[in-house]
Amino acid sequence: MTTARFRTRALTALALPLALALTACGKKAEAPQAEDAAATKNAGKLNIYIWSAYLPKEVIDKFAAQTGIQVNFDTYDSNEALLEKLQSGVADYDLVVPSDYMVKILIAEKLIQPLDHGKLPNIANLDPRFLDKKFDPRNQYSLPYFWGTTGLGYNKQKLGTVDSWEAAFDPKNKGRILMLDDMREVFGAALKSMGKSLNETDPAVLKQAADKLKKQKRLVATYNSGDFANILAAGDVDVAHGYNGQIAEVVANAPDKLAYVVPKEGATLWMDNVCIPVKARNAENAYRFLNYIMEGPVNAEIVNGVSYASANVPARQLIRPEILNDISIYPPDEIIARCEFLEDIGDATTLLDQYWTEIKAQ
Amino acid sequence: MRAPEATSTVDFAPRAIARLPPASPRQRGSVTWERRLLGWHSLLCYLFLYVPILILILYSFNRSKQTAGWDGFTLDWYGRLFANDLILRAVKNSLIVAVSATIFATIIGTMVALALARRSFRGKGATQSALYLPIIIPEIVIGAALVTFFGVIELRLSLWTVVLAHIAFCISYVAIVVRARLAGFDRSLEEAASDLGAGPLDTFRRVTLPIILPGIIAGALLVFTISIDDYVVSSFVAGVGATTLPIQIYSMLKVGVTPEVNAVSTLLLLLTVVLIAIAQRLQQDPTPSLSKGARKK
Repeated sequence: MTTARFRTRALTALALPLALALTACGKKAEAPQAEDAAATKNAGKLNIYIWSAYLPKEVIDKFAAQTGIQVNFDTYDSNEALLEKLQSGVADYDLVVPSDYMVKILIAEKLIQPLDHGKLPNIANLDPRFLDKKFDPRNQYSLPYFWGTTGLGYNKQKLGTVDSWEAAFDPKNKGRILMLDDMREVFGAALKSMGKSLNETDPAVLKQAADKLKKQKRLVATYNSGDFANILAAGDVDVAHGYNGQIAEVVANAPDKLAYVVPKEGATLWMDNVCIPVKARNAENAYRFLNYIMEGPVNAEIVNGVSYASANVPARQLIRPEILNDISIYPPDEIIARCEFLEDIGDATTLLDQYWTEIKAQ
Repeated sequence: MRAPEATSTVDFAPRAIARLPPASPRQRGSVTWERRLLGWHSLLCYLFLYVPILILILYSFNRSKQTAGWDGFTLDWYGRLFANDLILRAVKNSLIVAVSATIFATIIGTMVALALARRSFRGKGATQSALYLPIIIPEIVIGAALVTFFGVIELRLSLWTVVLAHIAFCISYVAIVVRARLAGFDRSLEEAASDLGAGPLDTFRRVTLPIILPGIIAGALLVFTISIDDYVVSSFVAGVGATTLPIQIYSMLKVGVTPEVNAVSTLLLLLTVVLIAIAQRLQQDPTPSLSKGARKK
């Protein structure tokens, strides 16, 4: 009967992909369960939760081959995503990499555990300039993984050499300036250009910075924290306030046209840090991995693979010269000396919030 | 990838347009300015919907790594894509989630729709209203609620918590679509079947199911697309090894999205188009073929 045949055929056609999909997912269904079983048997696992493009696969593979530990890793896109995951209490991560300010929050929320420095002899390899910061005094909970700066990307064909924040406040660049859509960073740029600290709390100085930013508003094409590097690369702006990593990426594609500079007045330093969550089930493996990535050669391999600056001293001898000498990745010491981490500025935040709203609403 | 909140409204638009009766054959001189305006308006609408997608496809063949400009044709990104374990794993995870969620949500949602349309029971009104909640409640609230719930019952986050979460919010969509199909259902067809000696199971399989099948397929396709591009809920409930494609893409934003993402989106688009084509073939007027069969009898 035609109808019946049509129907059977239709159902088969529908059922086939579904059945295939089912078998596919049936197979997958076994895999994680098997993993779980293995974990309870020999604890040979390490689950890492980290920013994208932060850890070369080769390094993980070598560690796994050396130790027999099975390493899983997932990536996140914001510190807040990480916070939420740890707050759930049911996420099985053993190693996480929050930024400076988030470390402080995770400590306060009791979501990361104190580190036993005795298990981490390679701490001796770390550059003291990046240790003992206010967000985690004496590095009780965290160790530096990567650090970087917030500076200016610019079109050197149009502007020549830029070395100062003033390029972002220069009326000549009207409509060709991009600033991050980030209150603390934008105020940081203004304060640094005035020779002040990023963490200034004096209301009179903050008022001056706000006035400077209100005047700058007319010159700014856009405030953007996500796509700033691409906007610069596309030629829509000539000066872009941004993080070194993303700008270095577009500079590498157009080295004749673009450049990145940490302004001579100094800039923001950011740092991402390795921590072990309180609920880590494989904390011992996390310690092993932590110590492993602080070995000079391993750390150099990581830096060579992803082009971010680490705080590891012996690694420097093995880091490719084009990375080590790239001032957008490793700025010269005298400039680092003028850079600062963003710190909690307490009540002054309210004042900044108010000014920021005024600036954005102008 | 589309913004998560745009899903429900956009998905039906082309289908609704496609269902409009074809315009009457044009007569000489009858093309009024209104008609022309309507034509231009439709053209603009289609351009608005499809130009971004076309550009995405085009740029998957762009030699330049930046989206800034066209640098020449290349297939490199497809090669790089198939060498990129992270993206491939994310695609695999997304497909596992979308397929499982679609299957379970479709079955459960259809049963819900049938129960609501056929039976009267205590709490029916409440069930009906509750059905709309997952659609109305902001995704971020669903995500937060689910992760709290998983925390309370101590269910470790994994890929399966993502599947569970997706099933939970997909059921409503299927139930609503299938219910709409059931609204015009002529129950005398079922009565005729049982008069002719078919048992309840036979009646369902040979009469009810074929009639509501287009609704079921439409519901399944809808939830498949919702599931595969869901970011908000997934990012809340994903555990170890459960990075789905949208999560992967968002996490890549920090270092800049490469054309590999365009390449993978193009391939997924192709898959979706194929699925929709299959579904539409299946949907080609099953009701007339049924009545034809009935007449033969």
